[in-house]
Amino acid sequence: MKPAPFAWERPASLPALLDRLATAPGSVKLMAGGQSLGPMLNLRLVEPDLVLDITGVPELRQARLEAGTLVLGACVTHADIEDGRVPDNTGGALRRVASAIAYRPVRNRGTVGGSLAHADPAADWVSALTALGAAVEIAGRDGLRTLPLEAFVTGALDVALRPGEILVAVRVPARPAGAAWGYVKHCAKIGEFAHAIGAVLIEPGTGRGRAVIGAVEGPPLLFADASPLFGGRIGPDFAERFDPGAADAALHAAGMADAVARHVHVTVLARAVAQAAEPSPQSLPEAA
Amino acid sequence: MSAALADPPVRTPGTLALALTVNGVARRVEAEPRSHLGDVLRERLDLTGTHLGCEHGVCGACTVLIDGEPARACLTFAGACAGAAITTVEGLDGDAIAADLRAAFNREHALQCGYCTPGMLVAARDLVLRLPEADERRIRVGLSGNLCRCTGYAGIVRAVTSVIAERRARGIGPVSGAERALGPVGARIGAADATPVARPVPVPAKAPAAAPASVSDLGAAFTPAHSFTQTIDLAHPPEAVFALFGDIEAVAACLPGAVLTGRPAADEVEGGLQVRIGPIGATFRGRARIAHDPERLSGTVRGAGADAGGRSATEGQIRYRVGPGEAPGTARVLLDVGYTLTGPLAQFGRPGLVRDLAGRITADLARNLDARLSGAAAPAAAGLNPLRLLAALVRARLAAWRGRA
Repeated sequence: MKPAPFAWERPASLPALLDRLATAPGSVKLMAGGQSLGPMLNLRLVEPDLVLDITGVPELRQARLEAGTLVLGACVTHADIEDGRVPDNTGGALRRVASAIAYRPVRNRGTVGGSLAHADPAADWVSALTALGAAVEIAGRDGLRTLPLEAFVTGALDVALRPGEILVAVRVPARPAGAAWGYVKHCAKIGEFAHAIGAVLIEPGTGRGRAVIGAVEGPPLLFADASPLFGGRIGPDFAERFDPGAADAALHAAGMADAVARHVHVTVLARAVAQAAEPSPQSLPEAA
Repeated sequence: MSAALADPPVRTPGTLALALTVNGVARRVEAEPRSHLGDVLRERLDLTGTHLGCEHGVCGACTVLIDGEPARACLTFAGACAGAAITTVEGLDGDAIAADLRAAFNREHALQCGYCTPGMLVAARDLVLRLPEADERRIRVGLSGNLCRCTGYAGIVRAVTSVIAERRARGIGPVSGAERALGPVGARIGAADATPVARPVPVPAKAPAAAPASVSDLGAAFTPAHSFTQTIDLAHPPEAVFALFGDIEAVAACLPGAVLTGRPAADEVEGGLQVRIGPIGATFRGRARIAHDPERLSGTVRGAGADAGGRSATEGQIRYRVGPGEAPGTARVLLDVGYTLTGPLAQFGRPGLVRDLAGRITADLARNLDARLSGAAAPAAAGLNPLRLLAALVRARLAAWRGRA
């Protein structure tokens, strides 16, 4: 339960970090809060030669609104979002998700960027931020690029980072006026990784909607246009129009062969839809 | 594939000198970068009140205050908290809330063996500060990250409830902690106040494990813990596909990460399989027994192996059946995969991740089988060539040595 030996460095600027990432010999792992990588190191599932601590870089520890878009530095923690230390452009949606991640001692160090780069399919941010239409900013020595989150997460624990690149920020668009939000996860024990996640962002006024079925075996299943889940049309009566059969068929088509697993995921998505239809403000979920 | 069975090289990256404030006293300690805060406190500063349980963030026994906020000592590595203020259970002697909690834990029988108690007190103190009222449900949820195997939690919940109720009755409200800087608690902005005190010293790599891991009797009955099915569609006749499946060296050459190192019997092979899930890499060495049934165009591969350190072990069985595909002259291979995994990889891994991995390996396997059946240049076979394997090991060692120069 002790990690294999590794060297530790903590660059104080992004250029220094990128230089080190590009030139360091051997295997290198980036670490932010270490709440996902830490267990893997302790279990010796990961044995890097060098751990680069990215928390010394000031711009990774900032949050700001840019023309309505929330830009969260990679090292902003779940607790920072839970406690309201960052601006909110999602009507409390981010705060509700953050407050139910793992346990408070984990949220005090675990970061939004680390969670996305780790890309555990059962992690909250992977699904919630995909449903909210977030994008990630990626820095390399050649400059910045931006990817929609659904293009960033490519598989279980697999992301589109190229060698020498680092996720520096998450861009969360403002929740549209009148948009309803529902986020439900199913855990057998509070704080553990979810067995199923459902997330919906529904605009009854415009007929638009996004839905995500998460905690599946690969990247979350995204319905960029959720209307097929609602009989082809999204309106103020969306909750009554939700079609579990359409969600089940989509999961089946995505390769989820186990009927029980499909049932659990469809049920959790239905609960997220029902939650979105509740009058706001919604209460904070119970969180450790 | 050629370097698939290389052992990780042995490394000694030296130590860090850390400045910490521990329980109000400035301390300088030396620690290996891999040491977590729990080990630094216990081994270097003799503060053994911080207990280590699971060491992967689940049990909560090691919870301490870092810059005043609860955090897992086992998931905070030495360099990550350089310059931070740490408070352990020993440092809570003079704390008013902790004093109330100790009295309440005593009164309500909130501990028996006491192993979880230091972490429980730190987590409970945080709840006393933050919860607006003594709500049993929220207290239970708030303590869910701290495991107690003695009390059944009833006494702990009563103790925390009574302290919150008593403080709120005295007019002491909750705190929000809204003022602190963004980012992980304990992590200072800028370069670390941790300086390397020893240059990395190369250590001769340990000898490669020569023999494959000993395996259980592959003839015995086996009930897998997990199973799943994969299908491979190939644009070649079933007979040709089955014939290829009979050539174990050819199949191994098509299986990403697989290396054959020996063939002790006609129906037995030795070798290894390297798998990669995100940052996790594991190389299983072991043995497999193969059976073919030409009448039914089916067969069985039964194998067992362990990873290089012998910490994770797996046993598995693949049953395959080659049948006709949807179009004439094509084949569909049904693979029934059953496996049991033990050790740290199983502790971490969830069956879903393994299925996702298996899906990706199967897709590569299908592509390579198709290329081979089409007569295209198949991937270079590692084959039954111990020299090639040894060369790969030497190359990996050299690369690791150069890396330290």
